[in-house]
Amino acid sequence: MVDTGLVNALAQGVVTGSIIAAGALGLSLVYSIAEVPNFAHGDMLTVGAYLALALNNPGELPFVPNAVAVPFAVAAVGGVVLAGVFGGLYEKAVFARFRDEDADLITMVIVSLGLALVLRNLVLFLAGSANVTYDTVTRVDTNVDVYVTGGGLGVELTKRVAGDINTLDAWGYGWPVVLVVVAVAVAAGVAVYRWRSADTGYERVHFVSPRVLAVATTVVVGAVAAAVARGGAVATANPAYSTRVGVSWKYGAILAVMLGTMLCMNYVLKRTKTGRAMRATADDQSLARVRGVDIDRVQLVVWVLAAVLAAIAGVLLGWYASNLNPNMGFNLLLPVFAAVIVGGIDSPYGAALGGLMIGLSMDVGAYLLPAEFATYRTAIAFVILVAVLLVKPEGLWGDA
Amino acid sequence: MALADFLVSLLTVVSVYTLFGLGLNIKYGFTGLVDFGHVLYFLTGAYVTVVVTLPAAATGYEGIGGFALPQLFAGVPLGGLFAWLAAIAVAMVAAAVLSLLVGVPTLRLREDYLAITALGVATILHTVVNDERWLFNGPFGVRDVHQPLTGAFPVSLGSFLVNLAVFGLISVVVLAYVGYRVGGYVYGVDVRAAALATAAAALVVAGLGVATLGGTLVLAGVVVAAVGVALLARSIRRADGYGQPVALFTALVFAAWYFGTPLVTTGPSGTLASAVWLFDPTAGSSGGITYGRFVLLVSAAFVGVAYWWCERTVNSPYGRVLRSIREDEDVPEALGKETFRYKVQSMMFGSALAAAAGGLWATHIAFIDPSQFTANITFFAFTAVIIGGAANNKGVVVGTFVFWTLHTGTRFLNDFFPTEYATQLAALRVMLIGVLLMVILYYRSEGLLGEQHYDTGVAADGGEASE
Repeated sequence: MVDTGLVNALAQGVVTGSIIAAGALGLSLVYSIAEVPNFAHGDMLTVGAYLALALNNPGELPFVPNAVAVPFAVAAVGGVVLAGVFGGLYEKAVFARFRDEDADLITMVIVSLGLALVLRNLVLFLAGSANVTYDTVTRVDTNVDVYVTGGGLGVELTKRVAGDINTLDAWGYGWPVVLVVVAVAVAAGVAVYRWRSADTGYERVHFVSPRVLAVATTVVVGAVAAAVARGGAVATANPAYSTRVGVSWKYGAILAVMLGTMLCMNYVLKRTKTGRAMRATADDQSLARVRGVDIDRVQLVVWVLAAVLAAIAGVLLGWYASNLNPNMGFNLLLPVFAAVIVGGIDSPYGAALGGLMIGLSMDVGAYLLPAEFATYRTAIAFVILVAVLLVKPEGLWGDA
Repeated sequence: MALADFLVSLLTVVSVYTLFGLGLNIKYGFTGLVDFGHVLYFLTGAYVTVVVTLPAAATGYEGIGGFALPQLFAGVPLGGLFAWLAAIAVAMVAAAVLSLLVGVPTLRLREDYLAITALGVATILHTVVNDERWLFNGPFGVRDVHQPLTGAFPVSLGSFLVNLAVFGLISVVVLAYVGYRVGGYVYGVDVRAAALATAAAALVVAGLGVATLGGTLVLAGVVVAAVGVALLARSIRRADGYGQPVALFTALVFAAWYFGTPLVTTGPSGTLASAVWLFDPTAGSSGGITYGRFVLLVSAAFVGVAYWWCERTVNSPYGRVLRSIREDEDVPEALGKETFRYKVQSMMFGSALAAAAGGLWATHIAFIDPSQFTANITFFAFTAVIIGGAANNKGVVVGTFVFWTLHTGTRFLNDFFPTEYATQLAALRVMLIGVLLMVILYYRSEGLLGEQHYDTGVAADGGEASE
C-alpha cells in the first residue's frame, strides 16, 4: 500500500497557492493603486463564487428562480463577468466618493470593513448559511504512485473503482535516464535564462521575467523529456521510498486557468496603455495626473480587475473544495493579505509569488504537523506574515 | 417580563459595551490604532475572570483552571467580591500583556499592518479557544461562572413598603435627574420645532401602537409612523442643529413606551413598576433589589471609573502625545517622544479596559462560550464609537447606547416573521450596520458629538492652550 506524502502535499499546495495568488494579485492592485487595504476582498471572492452558483445551480438558493441552469464552465465565466460589474459598483458607489473626500488610510480601512459586512451578510441573507456545491460532473481522481527502487524510478497510474484499485498504466526510468532528463531540463532552463537576460538594461521591460521563464522551461522540458524517455515497468516490490500523489483533471484545469489569468494580467500591466497608466498611478498618483492619466478611469479599471480576479479565485476555490459558504472568502482573507504583504504591497508579481508560497506553506505545514493541528492552516500563513513583518517589512520582493 | 427588567438588562449590556468601547476609543479614537482584534481582549478578560474564580473540579469542565479564588478568600468578609475584583485585575493584566505581544511586532509599521495582524491574532486565538478542549473547555463553554455575592440577593430592607419607599425613591430620583438633564438640553429650542417634534413623537407612538394590533392595521400604523418621521425631519430643519429636536423626540417616545405601554397592558400599577425600576416587587417575600440590578450598578460603577480614568488620560499631557501620534507621528518623534512606547501603552490600556468589560460580561451572562466573542463584536464596537464620534468619551457612551438600542430594538421585528427567517433577519441587521458605518463615515465622519474638547488645565490666554 502506498501512502500520500510530502509530494502530494506539495501538489495540493500549488493548487491552493495559485488560488490565493489570484486573490492576492487583485488585492495588491487595489492596495497599491487605489491605496485601500481592502478588508472586503475576501468577501468579493464569496460574491463571485455565489454569482456563478446562481447561474449554475440555482436550486440551492432560495430566492433565485430555478429556470436557468447552465453548465459550470459557462456559469463560471458569467459569474466572473457579473462580479466585474459589481467591482465597478463598489468603486462608483463607495470608494470613488471617499477618494474625492480625501479620506485617509484608516478611514478607507473602516469603509472597506463596512463593505465587507454588507457583502458577507448579503450573501448570507440571500443564500442562507448552508454549505452548497456547484452542479458539476463527479470528479475523477487518479493516483500517481512513484516508487524509488535500486533499479530506477517506477511510476504507476492507479484509480479506485468501486473499492478496488485498478492499475491503469505503469512505466519506469533507469537511473541514468533520470539523470539525463534532469540534466537536459536544467540545461534548457539555464540556456533560456542566459539568452533572455543577455540584454537586460534599464529600458528593457521583459514580458515574462527571465527567471520565471527559465523555471517554466525547466518544468516543460523536463516533462517532455520524461514522456519521450519513458521505458518499461520497473519492479516495484520493495521500493526504498514510495509516495502517492492524488491528481485530478480538476487540479490541472485550475492551474491552467490560473496560468492563463496571470499571463493576461501580465499582458494588461506591461503591454497596454491602461496598464502603463496603472503602474504610473501606483508609483505616484499626482505625477501620473500631471502626465494626463485619467485617474478616475484607472481606479475604475483597477476595481473591476480586482473583482474579476477575486471572482476567479472564489469560483475555483468553491470548485476545488466542492463547498461554498458565506464565510469562505473571509476565511481566506488572512492568507491573501499575508501573500500580499510577504510579496511586497507594491509588487503584483510579488503578490502572486507570495500567494504560491503561502499556499505551499499552508498545505505542506498541515501535512508535517500532527493531524489535530489541521484547523490551524490559516495560522501558518499568519506566522509567515508576522515573520516577514519582523524581518523584512517591505516584503520579500518589494522595493519600498 | 416587566419593562423595567428589560431596561435593566439592556442598560447592563450597554454598560459592558461602553467599557469595551472606551478601550477601543483610547486605541482608535485618540491614538489612531486600528485594532481589528479588540474582541480578543474581551474574550481574554471573560475567560481569565471565569477560570481564576472557577471552583476546583467543576463538573463538565475539562480545561485548565480551578484556581478557586473565592474559596481562598472565604475567611475574609465580602471575600467573594474581593476574589472577583482580584480576578478582574488579573484579567486586565493578562489582556495588557497579550496586547503587548501583539503590539511589539506590528506597531512600528504602518497602521494597516496592525489592522490585519490584529484581526489575524484574534481569529486564530478564537479558533484555539474554540478547538482546544484542554484550554478552556472548547466549544462547550464554561458554566460555573462565579457571581460575587449572589447569595445575598435579593436584598430587602424588611417590609415591602419600606423597600418600595427607599428603592423607589432612588429610582425616581435617577429618572428625574435624567429627565432634568434632557430638559435642560432641550430647553430653549425653537417653539415650532418643539411642537413639530412632539407631534412627530405622538404620531410615531400611535403608528407603532396601531401596528402591533396586527392585520391590515400594520400597514396603516407604518404609514402613520412614517408621517411622524417626516414631521421630525421638518422639525430638525426648523431648529438649528438636529440635537435638540431628536433628543426631545427620543425622550417622548421613550416615555410613551416605558410608562405608556404598561399603563395600557396592566394599568397604573404597571406604570408605577416602570417608575421604580430599581425595585423588583416579585423578588423574594417582600420585594427588593435583584442580582441583575446589582450587576447593572456594578457595571455602571466600572464605566464611571473607566470614564474618569479615560478623561484624566486624554486631558493630560500624556493624552496630548497620543493625539499627536494620531495626527502626525513625525512631530512627537521630532520633539523627542518615544512614539512606539506610547502606542504600546495605549494598546495595553485599551486592552485592559476591554478585559474588564469581558469580566463584567461573563458575570452578567453567567455562561460563556467562544461563539459570544466573534469578530463582529469588534466591528460593532467600531460602529458604536464612530456613531458617537471617535475621540470623544461621551460619544462612546452615546454611540454605544444608540447602537445597542437599535440592535436590540430591531429584534422585536423577529416576532413578525416566521422563525425560519431568523438567520435572514440577523444577516439583514448586520448588513444594515455595515451600511450605517459607511453612511456615517461619508456624511458625518465626526459622528453625533464630534471630537471632544480637551481641558488641558492651561489657561486659555496662556498661549496656544486650547485645542
